[in-house]
Amino acid sequence: MNELAIDSKDLAKTYGSIRAVGGINLTVPRGAIYGFLGRNGAGKTTTIKMLLGLTRPTAGAAQVFGMDVSTERMAILRRTAFVSEKKTLYPSLTATELVRFSRGFYPTWSDGAVEKYARLLEIPMKQRFEKLSNGNQTKVWLLLALSQGADLLILDEPTTALDPVSVDQLLHVLAEDGLDRGCTVFFSSHQLEEVERIAEYAGVLDHGKLLMESRLDDIKSEFRLITAAGNSLPSQTSPQVLSVAVEGSFYRYVVTKDADSFAAGLSKSGATITNIAPLSLREIFLQLVRKEQ
Amino acid sequence: MYVWKCWRDTRSFFIVFLIIAAIVMPVAAVVCVGTHLVEDFGTSAFSTTFGLILTAVALGLGALGAIHEFAEKTAHFLFTKPRSRAYFIWVGWAVGFAELLAVATVNFLAGWATLSHYSKNPFHSTLNGSMTTENFLDALIFCVWAYCLTYSLTVLLRNGLKGLGASMGILFGLPYFAAAVRWRWHIDLPLVPGLPLGTLPLAISNIIWVLIAVLFVLATQLVVERAEI
Repeated sequence: MNELAIDSKDLAKTYGSIRAVGGINLTVPRGAIYGFLGRNGAGKTTTIKMLLGLTRPTAGAAQVFGMDVSTERMAILRRTAFVSEKKTLYPSLTATELVRFSRGFYPTWSDGAVEKYARLLEIPMKQRFEKLSNGNQTKVWLLLALSQGADLLILDEPTTALDPVSVDQLLHVLAEDGLDRGCTVFFSSHQLEEVERIAEYAGVLDHGKLLMESRLDDIKSEFRLITAAGNSLPSQTSPQVLSVAVEGSFYRYVVTKDADSFAAGLSKSGATITNIAPLSLREIFLQLVRKEQ
Repeated sequence: MYVWKCWRDTRSFFIVFLIIAAIVMPVAAVVCVGTHLVEDFGTSAFSTTFGLILTAVALGLGALGAIHEFAEKTAHFLFTKPRSRAYFIWVGWAVGFAELLAVATVNFLAGWATLSHYSKNPFHSTLNGSMTTENFLDALIFCVWAYCLTYSLTVLLRNGLKGLGASMGILFGLPYFAAAVRWRWHIDLPLVPGLPLGTLPLAISNIIWVLIAVLFVLATQLVVERAEI
């Protein structure tokens, strides 16, 4: 059995001369919560569309549960729930009618889950979709996805327009209920705190390139901020040194891999290491994206 | 499921026209009672209302019943359901087609029953001669053609009004185009659905017209299947 829920090899998509996704290799383990990070226009939605068969890759290949996205689309969609970045649905249907509409497509559908999440997320089920607030429209999308009994949840910016309480409830649901069922959650976001809170794995996409992909703990342990005091210390970036900021005689290095050996090198150059600190996901993300620019 | 959604989208229009189809001939008969108009002009009124009502229904259902996922920006919702895009195209088409046939049947039965009440032979008028089933079949074929064309254009142009406008332009412009070609180059173009194609028998021509209509929908399916969402 394939241990990966999502596996892509050099997956690429171009629109005319615009390269939306430039050959990425995604590996999402089964049962994991994977945060797919990137700025607006980084290529997150295009990647998701290719995984769901909404758009065809220009090059490369992708598999979901070992099934090819180009040839086994139906089998993939039977096991996948999706929340779109654009939270539009049939305007004249109520949430109850949307449930009725969606239910028949999935043998694994759970009416119990509908009741549970409708109550939890406080969704007005009898109101037409067009009359709902943006936040409630997002909740309806989530309700439909969560009730599907899917093995894979693909959520594109799932917390758009949600208030902090609803975001909290959703993250709790994804972390607790999703993992209890062994469901894989792949969600794109630029809300780094949300990813940091629940994700086990993270990938950072920028300008169609996957800058980094790893277990979140590994990412965090890999990056360090080293503050050193000294004169004429190195101020050049390198593959190991993502950035250098100089303030008077203080140098702040963001380093990846082997922070201790880098600090030892600085000490040999006469520097005084004043601090070696871990970075938050936000700081790591910003460093990676800035370096890419 | 999707059948229910298609029915929900078109049911108001369908029910209104079903009522119109059921009452036009009986009401006209009541108005004409005692004047012999029903007996004399009934057959032509029958076939005319049949064609008119059915054309309106075909155009309306084609525009309303077609999938509106692109216009409503819900394609990413529908096309991530575990069904092929062809399924959605043909289910939408089938629901509208069934409604079109239902209106045709009700209109025919209401007209026939009304005229039967006033005349021993409801398909014969002393002034306008006899009607045959072919009169009704011609109108029906035209309407199936109109329905398929409107349905396809609505999906392809991603807008009900645009689809309806383009379809009406083609349907009502074709006879003028054919007349212009005949006048300029003396060539007869077989461009009016429901009429014989060249020297072919009418039955064969009708089958060909229906196949052409279905080809529109098939072409639409191929386009939608390749569409990037």
